[in-house]
Amino acid sequence: MRAEVVEFRSPFHQFEVGFNVIIDLITPGTRVLDLGCGSGTLLQRLRDEKDVEGCGVELDQDKVIRCIERGIRVLTLDLDEGLEAFPDLSYEYVVLSRTLQQLVYPDRVVKEMLRVGSKSIIAFPNFGHWGIVLEYVFTGRSPVCETHPHPWFNSPDIHRLTIKDFRDFVQKIGGKIEKEIHIINNAPSNSTFWPNRRAQWGCFLISSA
Amino acid sequence: MPTGPIKEYADSDGLYGRVDTQYAEFEGITLQSGVFLGPLKVAYETYGTLSPERDNAVLILHALSGDAHVAGIDSNGRLGWWDAMIGPGKGIDTNEYFVICSNCLGGCKGTTGPPSINPATGKPYGRSFPLITMGDMVDVQAMLVRHLGIEKLHSVIGGSMGGMQALEWAVRYPDAVRCAVVIAATARLSPQGIAFNWVGRNAIYCDPAAACPDEKHGHVYQKMGRGLAIARMIGHITYLSEETMEAKFGRQLRLKDMNGYSYSLGENGKEGGEFEVESYLEHQGSSFMRRFDEDSYVIITKAIDYFDLEWTYGSLVNAFKNISAKMLIMSFNSDWLYPTAMSLAIVRALMAAKKDVSFVELDLPYGHDSFLVNAGIPSLTRIVRGFLNGAR
Repeated sequence: MRAEVVEFRSPFHQFEVGFNVIIDLITPGTRVLDLGCGSGTLLQRLRDEKDVEGCGVELDQDKVIRCIERGIRVLTLDLDEGLEAFPDLSYEYVVLSRTLQQLVYPDRVVKEMLRVGSKSIIAFPNFGHWGIVLEYVFTGRSPVCETHPHPWFNSPDIHRLTIKDFRDFVQKIGGKIEKEIHIINNAPSNSTFWPNRRAQWGCFLISSA
Repeated sequence: MPTGPIKEYADSDGLYGRVDTQYAEFEGITLQSGVFLGPLKVAYETYGTLSPERDNAVLILHALSGDAHVAGIDSNGRLGWWDAMIGPGKGIDTNEYFVICSNCLGGCKGTTGPPSINPATGKPYGRSFPLITMGDMVDVQAMLVRHLGIEKLHSVIGGSMGGMQALEWAVRYPDAVRCAVVIAATARLSPQGIAFNWVGRNAIYCDPAAACPDEKHGHVYQKMGRGLAIARMIGHITYLSEETMEAKFGRQLRLKDMNGYSYSLGENGKEGGEFEVESYLEHQGSSFMRRFDEDSYVIITKAIDYFDLEWTYGSLVNAFKNISAKMLIMSFNSDWLYPTAMSLAIVRALMAAKKDVSFVELDLPYGHDSFLVNAGIPSLTRIVRGFLNGAR
C-alpha cells in the first residue's frame, strides 16, 4: 500500500536543509546506517563530504537500484520486520529521516536503532505545530499541510506525533536526548522558544542512556 | 580500451558476434572426496580484452544445465544463454570487462564429466564418475583462471547453482575475488530442493534403457529412455512460478478444434498432452534429451544437494569469516525454489561476520528463472552494471 502513495512532500527545501542538519551531526570517517535511505542521496553526500562508510535500508525497488547505481551499499529490508540482522553497535550513527511516522512499530525500530548504533538521529514532522493545531480546531478536520501533505485515507504517515510526544517516548524506552534541533521555516535552530508549537520538524540526536 | 554506447536494456541479439569454445587441459585434481580425477579438460569461452593490469576479469558461473557459451553466437548460430546481459554496452560490458565462462566440472559440454573417456577403462565414465562438490567445480574454475594468467578476478557472478559457486569462490579464494554477485541462490539446499532432485534422479534411474550397461554404444545408448526428459520437466515446474504459468499457458488447449474433453493417444499408448503447459513441458523435456547427458544430470544434482556451507564450516558466519569480496546478494520474490528467506540467511550471516554486503530483492513474477527471462534483464542490467562499477 505504501508504494501507491505518491511522495509529494517537499519539506526542508527538498531535503537540502534536513540533510545539512543531519550531516552536521555526524563525525567524519564514521559508519552510518540510513534507514529508509531512498535513492541514497544522504549517504552519497556523507561519503563525499565526510568520508563516511554508509549502508542504506530501503524497501522501494527503484530506489534500491538507484543506490546500487550510485555505488551505495543497500539492503532491501522492511524496517517493521526489525533490524535483528544487524550486530550490536555495528554503526556509529543510525539515521531515520522522515520515516518514523510511517512505521507500524516505531518503538521496536527505535529500540533496535539504539542497540545497533552508538547514536541515533531521528527527524520527523511535528504534528504539534500551531498551524496544524488551529486547522484541526477550527475546521474540525484532519489537517493537510506541507509536513502532512496526504489526506488521512491515503497517507503513509500513520502516526501523527509531536515534539513533546517524542521527548516522552525517548524517556519511556530508556533513551537519552543528546541534542534537539528544531526546524522552523526551513531553518534549523538549537534552542527555540516554544518548539512544540513553532517547529515544523524535529530532529533528535539520541543514545541509549 | 574502446567504449561504445551504454544500453539501457539489451536483447539476446548476439551483439558480441562469433565466439568459439576453447579448451584447457590439466593434469588433474584431487577432489574433496580424496579421489584423484585426471586428466582434466575444461571448455571455456572469453569475451572482451584482458587489461594490461589484468584487473578486469569477470567470471560467469552457469546454472545446472548451462555451458561455457554465455554470450555471442557459436558455430551453429546458437545464442549464448545470457547474451542479453553480456556484450558491448550491455549490463556486463565486454568493452570494459574481460568475461570468462567455463562449463562446470561434471558437465557434458566439453569439460570433463560423465561422458568423457575414463583413461583407466577407455570408455566413458558414465555413472562411475566420482562424486564431486561445488567446491571441486570452483577449484577447477580457479585452475582455469590461473591458466589464463589472472591472479585476482574483478568479480564472480552466478545465478542458482552459479550463485552457490559464487559463494564458494568468495569463501575458498578470498584473495582472488574483488566482488561477488550471488543471484537466486542459497548457502544450503533446502529439503524441498533435495526432494525435487531425488524425484528427478529417480526418473532417470527407472529408465530401462539407462539401466543397461553401455558396452557397445557408449553413453549414447543410454539416451533411449525418457528419464532425463521427466527429470527436466520436474525441474522446469520448480523454475517457474504459478503466476508465470497462468500468464504463459493458462488452461489453454493446444488443439483448437477440440470441443471440451479429449484424450489423444500417441506412440506407445502414451497420451499426447492437450494442455499448452503439457506441451511446453514435453518440448522442454525432449529438447533436453538431445542436449544433455543424464549422468551429468545425476552427478551435478548430487553436488547441488550436498552443497551446505553451514554444515561444512560449522556455521555460516564461520564460513564467511575470511571473505574480503564486496558481496551482492539478489533474490526474486516469486522464486519458491530458492526463496528470499534463503538469500536473507546469507545476508544475515555476512552482516554478523561484518562483511560488505548489499541485498536486492527484485519484484519479478517469473520465479526462480527470473534472471534468465528477458523481461527481467533491464533491472538486472542496472543492478549488475552499477555494482561492478562501484567495485572498480
